[in-house]
Amino acid sequence: MNGFNFHRAYSIARKEVMHILRDPFTLTLALGLPVMLVTFFGYAIDYEVRNIRLAVSDRDNGPAARRLKEVFSSSGYFRLVEPGPAGPVEMLDSGRAAAAVFIEPDFSKKIKGGGQAQAQFVLDGSDNSKAAAITGYLPGIQRAAQAKLAAQTIKEPFSAETRFLYNPELNSRWFIVPGLAAIIIGLLAILLTALNVAREWENGSMELLLSTPVRPLEIITGKLAPYGALVLAGVFFVYLVSRLVFGVPFEGSHLLYLAACLLFVTAALSQGLLISVITRQQQVAMQFSMITGLLPSMLLSGFIFPVESMPAFFQYLTMLLPPRWFMAAARGITLKGADLAELAVPFLALGLLSAGMLALAIKKFKTDLE
Amino acid sequence: MGNFSIRTENLKKNFGAVKALNGVSFDFSAGLLHGLIGSNGAGKTTTMRLLAGLLKPSSGRISYYSEGQPAALSELRPSLAYMPQQASLYPDLSIDEHLEFFRELYRLEPEVYARRSTRLLNITRLDKFRGRRAGQLSGGMYKKLGLMCSLLQSPSVLLLDEPTNGVDPISRREFWEMLYDLAAEKILIVVSTAYMDEAERCSRVHLLDSGHLLASGEPRAVLKEAGASGFEELFVRQGAQK
Repeated sequence: MNGFNFHRAYSIARKEVMHILRDPFTLTLALGLPVMLVTFFGYAIDYEVRNIRLAVSDRDNGPAARRLKEVFSSSGYFRLVEPGPAGPVEMLDSGRAAAAVFIEPDFSKKIKGGGQAQAQFVLDGSDNSKAAAITGYLPGIQRAAQAKLAAQTIKEPFSAETRFLYNPELNSRWFIVPGLAAIIIGLLAILLTALNVAREWENGSMELLLSTPVRPLEIITGKLAPYGALVLAGVFFVYLVSRLVFGVPFEGSHLLYLAACLLFVTAALSQGLLISVITRQQQVAMQFSMITGLLPSMLLSGFIFPVESMPAFFQYLTMLLPPRWFMAAARGITLKGADLAELAVPFLALGLLSAGMLALAIKKFKTDLE
Repeated sequence: MGNFSIRTENLKKNFGAVKALNGVSFDFSAGLLHGLIGSNGAGKTTTMRLLAGLLKPSSGRISYYSEGQPAALSELRPSLAYMPQQASLYPDLSIDEHLEFFRELYRLEPEVYARRSTRLLNITRLDKFRGRRAGQLSGGMYKKLGLMCSLLQSPSVLLLDEPTNGVDPISRREFWEMLYDLAAEKILIVVSTAYMDEAERCSRVHLLDSGHLLASGEPRAVLKEAGASGFEELFVRQGAQK
């Protein structure tokens, strides 16, 4: 009776496998949904802002002004629109343009005479993520325009070249897809466990199980192991989509990636178990899972906003989130080919969080119905 | 198989402000078929869960005895079977798969399992439906499957919480016949029910109302003492007095 009995844990795991295989919803949720979501959002989300509607107020209409407009349109980021009688500012007001450029009346004349011409650039600051992206494009556009208008390369006291390692073309999908996969896989693991175990509490089967000689640790092991395997199968399909559909490179060790996935999935499954033990109701467990699993992963893991730019308190808070560390490890392994020594901190953090979360779930798993 | 008995003294259980049990004392001795009788909310399920060790009393004591000697619940646990009131089986598992699952939980030897499962399937007359999933069984068959899972370990103490609730009269009669056979094997059986006609089938009844024990004893003696012709009348009278 005392101690962990592997056979009993195995029999619970076997029962769970039967439930999974006979439940098309769970199978679809675990294997199909991550692939579908990663494909869908992988295409939908792009940090690069393109097709920016640029209202042009050209009061010069000279050759230099035309060349300046060509630079904007040939950059691939901007689509030039005529302001019409309303004027560029009204277009910004109504959202028909995200930026406007004002070219002064004697713009071409001043350039031809070797003077300094003025062109003012106005941005819609109400959408600051788009405004920040446009601001990032402007220095490059300005350099290209100056070179074109001066008909020669401007001699600068020194030249600074920027080269991007690991993602030379700054393909944002290479950055987004592994992060997206982490969020979806993490949420799925939390949801699957939370709902499954809460269902057992809700329909009374846990009451029956607890009255048998089976130990809580055997129940936990037997329940988590099949769902862990199922989520890892989901990870494999997401990996295939990342590589084959989005062409995300994989520079590092697959074994190391699997180890990171194992730690992350264990932490997520334990979180789901903890939620189910506390709530014991499927509906409440679902809400808890969404709140604790989705929002922190999306907003505080470094997926969208860099952790370094958060206030100090939130930077410390993110340390308690497994997705933050998994995201760092996954991006490091896939894009940089980082090894274990280089990823020691994310791995250590993931290991500690997984162990801590599992220990807490086991501690909270009561052997009575109180 | 040990000869077990259970006694409770002044047992109380509160859920927040709700007093589910208000100082009840029972004496459940082996070899008898004990009935916990009462309407909904009387405290039957709370008593069952307390006896099974799934709830802790707010106050009072539960004492377990093996061969007349005090024993801990942990000693009793391998010989204790509990069948909850709720539909707690797995609708997508067949009868055979349920039995196999509980065999593994109880770590029964294959030959012991084969002997017991064959016997139980014969008694319950479910042997023709072994491949049918629990979710496709009738109410009576479902309850019989629950009982089979509980009996697989050949328990000395059997706690059945409203096992005949929602079951048709013929299946109820069959169910009680099975309980008589088990009681004859010196098993301590405690069965709760809200059906008053079932009270007379028990060898001892314990009448519960709103967490209070109204009476205990042999059914006819309890009725005689109360001057009632049946348990339904007794409870109606009790309700009118309140």
